[in-house]
Amino acid sequence: MSDNAYIPKLSKIIEVIEEAGGGRPIKTFRTQFVDVNGFTHKCGQCAMLSVFGKGESMISISSTPLVKDYLQFSILKSGRVTSAIHAMQEGDIIGVRGPYGNNFPIEKWKGKNLIFIGGGIGLAPIWSVLQTALRKKSYYGKLSLIYGTRTSPDIIYKEELEELKKEMTVHLSVDHEEEGWKEYVGFVPLNVLDKKPSPKNAVAITCGPPIMIKFVIQNLEALGFKDEQIYTTVENKMKCGVGKCGRCNIGKHYVCKDGPVYSWAELKKLPREY
Amino acid sequence: MVNLDDLKKEAHRILEENKVKYIIGYSQGSNGFPAVPAFIRNPEDSDNLIWNPACIHNLTRFLRDEKKRKAREKHPDNRPVGIIVKGCDSRAINVLLQENYITREDVFILGVSCEDTGVIDEKKLAKKLMGKMALSFDWDGNRNLVVTTKNGEIKINADEVLAERCLECPAQSPVVYDILFGDKVKRSPETRFESVEKIEKLSTEERWAFWKEQFDKCIRCYACRSVCPMCYCDECVVDTISFAVTADTTAEEKAQKIKWIDKSPVPSETFFYHMVRAIHLAGRCIDCGECERVCPLDIPIRFLNKKLEKEAKNLFDYEVGFDPNQLSLVSSFKDEDPEDFIR
Amino acid sequence: MQKILTKKSFPKWVEDLVNYQIYAPVEKNDLWSYEIVTANEITIDYPNTVLSPKQITFPQREFFLEFNQNEDGTPGVKELLPEENEAVVFGVRPCDAKGVTHMDKVFGGDFEDAYYWKRRNQVTLVGLACNTPPSPNCFCTSVEGSPYSVEGLDVLLTDIGDRFFVQTFTKKGDRIINASKGLFAAPKPKEKTDMEKIHQDAVKAMPRSLKDMKKIPPKLKDLFEADLWDLEAMSCISCGICTYLCPTCHCFDIQDEITSSSPLEGKRVRTWDNCQFPDFTMHSSGHNPRPDKASRLRQRIMHKFQYFVENHKNYQCIGCGRCISKCPVGIDIIQVLEKVRDHV
Repeated sequence: MSDNAYIPKLSKIIEVIEEAGGGRPIKTFRTQFVDVNGFTHKCGQCAMLSVFGKGESMISISSTPLVKDYLQFSILKSGRVTSAIHAMQEGDIIGVRGPYGNNFPIEKWKGKNLIFIGGGIGLAPIWSVLQTALRKKSYYGKLSLIYGTRTSPDIIYKEELEELKKEMTVHLSVDHEEEGWKEYVGFVPLNVLDKKPSPKNAVAITCGPPIMIKFVIQNLEALGFKDEQIYTTVENKMKCGVGKCGRCNIGKHYVCKDGPVYSWAELKKLPREY
Repeated sequence: MVNLDDLKKEAHRILEENKVKYIIGYSQGSNGFPAVPAFIRNPEDSDNLIWNPACIHNLTRFLRDEKKRKAREKHPDNRPVGIIVKGCDSRAINVLLQENYITREDVFILGVSCEDTGVIDEKKLAKKLMGKMALSFDWDGNRNLVVTTKNGEIKINADEVLAERCLECPAQSPVVYDILFGDKVKRSPETRFESVEKIEKLSTEERWAFWKEQFDKCIRCYACRSVCPMCYCDECVVDTISFAVTADTTAEEKAQKIKWIDKSPVPSETFFYHMVRAIHLAGRCIDCGECERVCPLDIPIRFLNKKLEKEAKNLFDYEVGFDPNQLSLVSSFKDEDPEDFIR
Repeated sequence: MQKILTKKSFPKWVEDLVNYQIYAPVEKNDLWSYEIVTANEITIDYPNTVLSPKQITFPQREFFLEFNQNEDGTPGVKELLPEENEAVVFGVRPCDAKGVTHMDKVFGGDFEDAYYWKRRNQVTLVGLACNTPPSPNCFCTSVEGSPYSVEGLDVLLTDIGDRFFVQTFTKKGDRIINASKGLFAAPKPKEKTDMEKIHQDAVKAMPRSLKDMKKIPPKLKDLFEADLWDLEAMSCISCGICTYLCPTCHCFDIQDEITSSSPLEGKRVRTWDNCQFPDFTMHSSGHNPRPDKASRLRQRIMHKFQYFVENHKNYQCIGCGRCISKCPVGIDIIQVLEKVRDHV
């Protein structure tokens, strides 16, 4: 049974954190395997979460590999499986199989300034890199975060972001004017232009809705970032997670196996069907 | 007799005068296929149009592609689409008009009469030819199919190669058209439902065994549904392979969507799919027979729809596709409708 | 090894394979399909089946696991591997057998698919060389196949009149010959030349071909955004026939099927799926990378003749012609590829 890639391992939910409510609820789930030891993952990898009777959903592991106590998944309630996960509570058992996919090549970024650019739930897939970098600050250059959501209640990791402001530059934004909002108002790509991160010795790591990624990359290029300096993680509908069911391909790559992490230089070479 | 040159000339004319966007007709297929659907856009290409006993396809199926295409365009071209229809196909247009799926101005109908014959059943013809390849074939005007093969000509009586639905057809020339090719014919066949009656005569156990054997073959390719002009629902209730999801659809709506049948091709799910589809076509199916023709496993699906057509005629005197203004069978009632099942 | 088996002795050979389940093509109402047969039901001279033998190692429906609910409400999971059933499949056309090797590539690799290999390792494939092309749309020689190809086969039978020329290529093949040694004789030189002549004649009789096949993968790379796909897909009705009948198509879905909701009980099931269905790639948000027929047709052609070539150095097509023969609207893959090749 341990060799069969399709069998999920039972995992207990040890903590549920409500990140955002309203029409687009987001919850963070921390899980601990019931009887698996030594699970490791790399930044950017994902896992298939199973709700038996409903189905599976591929979610990025947003905790850093340096934390061994739990795996963290931040999930937007979107459809059948994610709604079932949202209904789960601490103590409930969920299936987890993985880790799948490639990873951010963080060991290549020694001494580089890391600029994290996230939108909405898009902060979760790149959170693992940010958390790893924080714990190994001497390895990297300057760390900064540009993060925006539609409205301020949609911001995830609110408490962590408050803590983060003490250790690195954090620029937040919301799409439209809001009472009491003192920071930038406007879409994330425009905030990128506003804050003008320098491409010198830097790597930009971005994730968010497809349209946001498109314009963030455009604006980063305008600021002088080269294709190899921009990294993103893409999403596609997935079922098997191991590159066999044929569903998630972008050109000759299967996103679950050859992705989801791509530099813009690599992604440019693939056909535009995502 | 249908004059193909007249058909081509008319096609040429309406394209040249920009009266239609394009014409959906038939042309020669590759590798000896006698006829395939074709989309003619340029007047010069109207020469590619053909008309022969293998023009089986119901081209009204493509009207929904046109409708979807228009819905995606910012500035849609509102000219009609030219379409070549046989008698059965024209009844499909009436049903689509009846249901307000299309308007009369959406189509310029080139009706072609089957006169006293119809279209062939490819399998019946193959059996008659016993392995010989047909290079070409046509009706000779005396209810014979003349087939040219490498070794000469073969004559086959129409009744031995006609599609079964043609033998039971109540509308051998189009009932709605802008221009008609061939002679108008109206005949009422005595044998409207003979094919169904053969199965009705079987006992319940025999009928169950018959359909179980047939549906065990089904691979749920959904070709029967995909080819049907009347199966135009964006989201099929029986098995959704096409969700109608917009940015506003909430997670709850998606989570609570009932999965009526599983994807597995097991008898319970397969029976349910075919039964529900047949019932949803009651009073709407015009027996073009495409569902049965396209089935790769030769399942006689048409019988299910024909049975309901028989019920509609016998119980409610309902005829499908002759009157675009009649009310739908299942959403209207008359005071004199039978009530003996109400206790 | 090379042997001769008379057609008269053939049923006795099948009878001697007592420990195996026997699959062979069976005809019912003019439709051929692979069924489990007994020795006296076996025919191996036939055109071609509607569904390829891929369904024997990759069935349209199979179980992954079963789940239930323990008394404390927690889920229990049990793996459901296929049963132990050694099988011999007779009458496999060389093209279909080559298709099996392509499936092996897909289901092997980094994550070996336990279910596929459980079945695959138990199956012995006995091929039947094509004396005449089984379909008017055969084009195996254009996609690196042949009517006497041995790829994927454990044994190949060639019909040389009243007897078969038997060749084995694997230990599995040797084993089933040895199950019935007395029936097999050593081949005479004339029998060998007869077989070779039949093979060469079959190649010459190939009904269709595609010239300059090698030009197509690089051409496809440039044609992703071309109008070509809109035009070719005009008459497509997005049914599932081409992919479900294809011996090398492998897309699948994984669904949970519940038999009881409280307490929860059910199975996780794998079924074939289809890249031509409209919602195959649709995200939960409603975003669909392939929202129209043109992009889906393009995906099929690209996957088969460009992506698979780059990933595995093979065309993901074995030239059986089933998709051409059964397409309801006459979309012809050879014609589409010729248009790609000649596109300016």
